[in-house]
Amino acid sequence: MRNSIPTAALSEFVNEVAGDPEEGLMSYGIEIDWESGTRARTSTKPMLVGPHKISRSFTWKADEPRQLMGNNHGPNPQELLLSGLGSCMMVAFVTGATAEGIQLESVKIDFDGTLDLRGFMGLASNAPVGFPEINYTIYVTGDGTPEQFEELHKKAVKHSPNAQTIMTPVSLTGDIVTTQIEDQHR
Amino acid sequence: MTKKPLFGDTTSQAATRNPGMWINELDRNRRSGPFLSAHPMDGMGMSTKAVHAGTHDDPRTGAVGTPIYQTSTFILHEETYGSIEEGFGRDRFIYTRYGNPSQWAVQEKLATLEGAESAIVFSSGMAAITAAVMALVDKGAHVVAASDLYGGTYNLFNQEFPSLGMSATLVDSYDLEAIEAAIQPNTQILYFEVITNPVLKVVDIPALVDIAKRHNLRLIVDSTFAPPPVMKPLELGVDLVVHSASKYLNGHSDLIAGVVCGSRKLVDMVWPRLLNYGGSLDPHACFLLERGLKTLDIRMKAHEASATALATFLETHPAVENVLYPMLPSHPDHARVKELMKMGTGSVTFFVKGGDQAALALLDHLKLPKQATSLGGIESLISLPFNSSQATMTARQRAEIGIHPGCVRLSVGIEDADDLIADFDQALNAISAMKGAA
Repeated sequence: MRNSIPTAALSEFVNEVAGDPEEGLMSYGIEIDWESGTRARTSTKPMLVGPHKISRSFTWKADEPRQLMGNNHGPNPQELLLSGLGSCMMVAFVTGATAEGIQLESVKIDFDGTLDLRGFMGLASNAPVGFPEINYTIYVTGDGTPEQFEELHKKAVKHSPNAQTIMTPVSLTGDIVTTQIEDQHR
Repeated sequence: MTKKPLFGDTTSQAATRNPGMWINELDRNRRSGPFLSAHPMDGMGMSTKAVHAGTHDDPRTGAVGTPIYQTSTFILHEETYGSIEEGFGRDRFIYTRYGNPSQWAVQEKLATLEGAESAIVFSSGMAAITAAVMALVDKGAHVVAASDLYGGTYNLFNQEFPSLGMSATLVDSYDLEAIEAAIQPNTQILYFEVITNPVLKVVDIPALVDIAKRHNLRLIVDSTFAPPPVMKPLELGVDLVVHSASKYLNGHSDLIAGVVCGSRKLVDMVWPRLLNYGGSLDPHACFLLERGLKTLDIRMKAHEASATALATFLETHPAVENVLYPMLPSHPDHARVKELMKMGTGSVTFFVKGGDQAALALLDHLKLPKQATSLGGIESLISLPFNSSQATMTARQRAEIGIHPGCVRLSVGIEDADDLIADFDQALNAISAMKGAA
C-alpha cells in the first residue's frame, strides 16, 4: 500500500458516499472532566461512521504551565488546537498525495502561533482573545515535483475539516446544567 | 479453453490517477467478488447453484471441475505487482494465505448460496468467527451475545475478550428486552446463533436486525445449524453470516473449515484478519468442501426427510419424554419456524425418561448413530450434552438453558428413515425393559 493508505478501499469508500451520502456523515464527541487546577481529562465518546457505531477508547490530559497557574502535566489547549488542526491537514495531505500516486518519504508540519493574553485577562486593549494568525511550514520529501506539492498543499487546506472550521465562522452553541451546593465553610 | 494466464479477478483494476486530482476523482468502485469469472446464477435454484456456482473447469486441459491448486505461492507478474501497493491484493493471486483459486471457487459457491457479495473460507469455524468479530470491533468495544452460545464462541468472549480490553454481555436470545437493555455506549456488535445448540431455539432474527439498526450496531449470526437451503440470514438484514463449514456445508464429517459471508465492504474488513490471524484454508480442504457443497441441497432434503420421520416416531414412543424438532407443531417456536425456515435440518433434540443414565444406556443400544460430537454429516451422530458439549456446566446451569436430565443431541444423517426408526425402536425398548427389570 502506497504511503500505507489502501487507495482501492479509499476509492471504493468515496464512491460509496457519492451514492449513499449517509455513509459520509461522521459524528464525534468528547467529554472533558476537570481534574485539578488548570488540568482536565478528555475522553472520546463512541463515534458514528455513517450509521455505524465504533468504540473510541482514548483519553488525554491538558494542563497549563506553572507560569500560567498550572502544573505543566500536559499540552495546553492552544497546543491541542494546533495539533488537531495540523493532524487533520496531515491526513488530507497524505491522502491527496496517495490518490495522485505520489510516494512520500517524510512529511513534517511546523506550527507557530502567538496570542496576547490581555484578551483572556480582559485588560483594555485591541488585542483579539484568540490567535490573530497561525503560521506553519510543511517539510515534505517525496517523488512529487515542487509544483505538485504546492498544488497538493492548497488542496489539503481546502479539504481539511479542521482547517476549514478555523478559517470560516462556525456557530458555537452551548448549555449549562447547574447544581448548587451549600457553602461548606459557612 | 484458454492459454491466457489467470492472475485473479480481471474486473478489479486500480483507480485511475491523474496529476493534480483530488480523491473525488478516484474511479474504482466496490463490487462483488473476488471471482475468477462471472457466474451469473440469479434466479436459478439452490441445487443448480450448489453444483455450478464458482466451480471452474481447468482452462488448460478442459478437465471438468475446479483443479486443486496445491501451492503456497504464485509467480508474480505485472498484473500482480501493483495490487498490494494499490490496496487490492485480495483480488490477485500472490500467496495462498492471501488467496488461492481453490479458495476462490468454494468462496464464490458459498457467496452465491448465501446471497452474499463476498465470502472468505477459513481453516475452522472458530477461525471464521474470530476474524469476523475482530473485524467489527475496536479498542474498548462491547458485544451483546447469546447466553447459550457454542462453547468455542463463548470462550472467545469469556477468555480472550477481557485480555484485549473488550467485554461481552451474554443474554437469553429469546429476551429481546434484555438484549436491548444490555446495549452500552461502546457496544459495536450483536452476536447470535440463528438456531441454538442443543435445544434448537429458533431466534427472532428480524427483531435482532431491527434492534441492531436502531442502535447503529452490526449484527453477526452463526448460521451453522441453518445452511442456505434452510435460511439465508443476509436476506433478513444480517450484516455477516458465519458458519462452521465442518457441519452441513461440507456434510461428510471429514474436514474442519469455516466461512464468513456478507457485503463486499464488510468481508474486505475481515480479510486483513485472515492475513493477521492466519486461519487460511488449505487448497486440498477447499476441494473437499467444494465437492461436499455440490450436494448440499439434496443432502438437506434427505436430512429433513429422515429427521422428520424419526422425530415424529420419537414423539410417540413411551420411553421418550419430549422431542424438540422445529418442523414439528410441538416445537415452541413452530410459528416463527414457518416464517423463517424454508425447510428442516437433521438436528433433533429429545429427552428420554429415566434421566442421563437412561440416555447413556440408549446410546449403547443404538447400532446406526455414532457416539460422536459434531453434526451435519451424512451419518447420524449422537451425543449427550451433560457429558460432552455442556460437561463443564453444573446441572442447574444446564437446566437454565433447557438441558434437562435425559437430554439427547441427535444429528440425523441421510440414512433411510425406516432403518433409523427400527434402530431407535429396539434401543428405546431395550432401555424400557431394563428399567422394568430394575
